[in-house]
Amino acid sequence: MNHVHLELKKVSKAVFRKVNNTRVRTQILGSLDLKVNKGELVTIMGASGSGKSTLLRLINRLSEIDSGIILLNGNDIMSHVPMELRRKIGMVFQVPVVFRGNVRENLIFGIKLWGGNSGIETLASDAGIPEDLLDADAGQLSIGEKQRVCIARALANQPEILLLDEPTSSLDAVSAQRIEKLLLDLRKERDMTILWVTHEKEQVERIGGRRLVLRDGRLEDYRD
Amino acid sequence: MAGWRIIVIEARALVLTVFLLILSAAYARRFGIGKEISLAGTRALVQILLLASIILILFEKPLFWSFLVLILMAAIAGHTTYSRSGKLEKGLPIAIISIASASLLLLIPFFLIGIFPLEARYIVPTGSILIGNAMNVSSLAIDRYKGEIKNRRSEVEAYLALGAKPELAAATCLKQGILSALIPSIDNMKNLGIVWIPGVMTGMLLGGADPMEAASIQIAIFTSIFVTGMIASSLVLHYSTDSFFTKAAQLREDMD
Repeated sequence: MNHVHLELKKVSKAVFRKVNNTRVRTQILGSLDLKVNKGELVTIMGASGSGKSTLLRLINRLSEIDSGIILLNGNDIMSHVPMELRRKIGMVFQVPVVFRGNVRENLIFGIKLWGGNSGIETLASDAGIPEDLLDADAGQLSIGEKQRVCIARALANQPEILLLDEPTSSLDAVSAQRIEKLLLDLRKERDMTILWVTHEKEQVERIGGRRLVLRDGRLEDYRD
Repeated sequence: MAGWRIIVIEARALVLTVFLLILSAAYARRFGIGKEISLAGTRALVQILLLASIILILFEKPLFWSFLVLILMAAIAGHTTYSRSGKLEKGLPIAIISIASASLLLLIPFFLIGIFPLEARYIVPTGSILIGNAMNVSSLAIDRYKGEIKNRRSEVEAYLALGAKPELAAATCLKQGILSALIPSIDNMKNLGIVWIPGVMTGMLLGGADPMEAASIQIAIFTSIFVTGMIASSLVLHYSTDSFFTKAAQLREDMD
C-alpha cells in the first residue's frame, strides 16, 4: 500500500499585492487540504492568480504558511532545515533561469552543494540534453533547452518530490510535449512524486494523474 | 601683514563660494532643484566652516578628541549608508562598524610608518577622507546590491530552491554591487594625474609643497581610499545579506 508522502492540513496563506502604491492583503489559500501518495502524479489547475504557484512555494518553504501544517513523510516541514527540505523537494519554475556559466556548471551545482553521485552525462541524457551542449554557454540556449537544464539541475539533487510550476507554458507546442514526455518518463524511472501546476486543460488530459483544481483557495476534484 | 593677507584671501574665497551658490541655485530652478541646491550648498558652507573651527580647537586638545571626532564622522557616514540601503534591519550598526573599521585599518599605517606625525592636523583630515570615500562606495554598493536582488529575484529563488544558502544565492548580486560601486574609483585611478589632479595634491601644491612630495602622499592616500572603500563595502554587503532573507532562508517579500 502506498504511504502518504505529502500532506497539507488546513493551510492558509494571504499575500500582499501592490494596488495604487498601497499594499493590499489578499487571501489566496484558505483551509486547504491535500494528501499525496508516494509516486503519485497530481495535476493542479486553476485560474490565473488563484494561488497555484503560491501553493507550490509553500511546500518547499520558498514562502511561509500563515496557518495550518504541511507534513513530509509524516513530519512537519518546519522541523526540517529549509535548505535540506529544498533538496528533497525540487522545483521547476515557469520561466527557466539558468546560472552563469556552461550547462555542465549548471548541472554540477547541486552535486557540489549536496555531494550527490549523479553523473553529469547521465543527468543530461535523462533530461534530453545532447552531450555536445554540455560545454555550451547556458545563457545562449533556447527556452526549451534552458528548461531541460533546469529540470536536470533539479534532478541532480535526487529529490523525492518534484514541484512543477507550469514548466511548459513558455515553450512552443512541440517543445512542450517533449518536456511532458521527459517528465513522465522520469517519474516512472525514479518513482518520484510530482505536483504539476498547469492552466492547460489539454495538458492535464495528456499527462493523466489525479486531477485537482484550485478554486476559492481550496482544492477540488477536477471534472470536465 | 601676512595674517591680514590670509584673512582677505579667506573672505574672497567665501564670497566666491556664496556667489557661485546663488548663481547655480538660480540656474537649477529651471530643473526644479533650485531649493535643493541652495540648501545643500548652505549646509556644505556652514559644515566646512564648523569643521575648520573644530580642527582649530582640536589642535589644542589631546589626541583622544581627534579620534572622537572621527568616530562621530563614521557614525554619520554609517547613517547615510544605512538610509541609502532603505533602512535595512540591523543596517545601522553594520554600516557604522564597517566604515569605521575599514577607515581605521587604513589610517594606522600613515602614522605607524611615519608618513605623517601623530597630530590632530593630520589625523582628522586623513581619517575624514577615508571615511567619506568609504561612505560613498558603501552607499553605492548597497543601493546596487539591493537593486540586483530585486531585479534578479527569480535567479536568487532558483538558487534557494536547489537548497543553496542565502549567501550563495545572493553571491552574484553582491559581486555586481561591489563592482559597480568601485567602477568610479577604478576609473579615477586609471586617469589619476592625466585628467585630474586630486584634492590632496592640489591642496599641498597650493600650500607650496614640493610636487614629488605631494604626488607621493597623494598616491598613498588614493590607494588607501580605494582599499578602504573596497573593504567597507564588502563588509557592509556581506553582513547585510541576512537582512534580505527571513530566518527560513526565504527572500523577503516586503523589499521596497
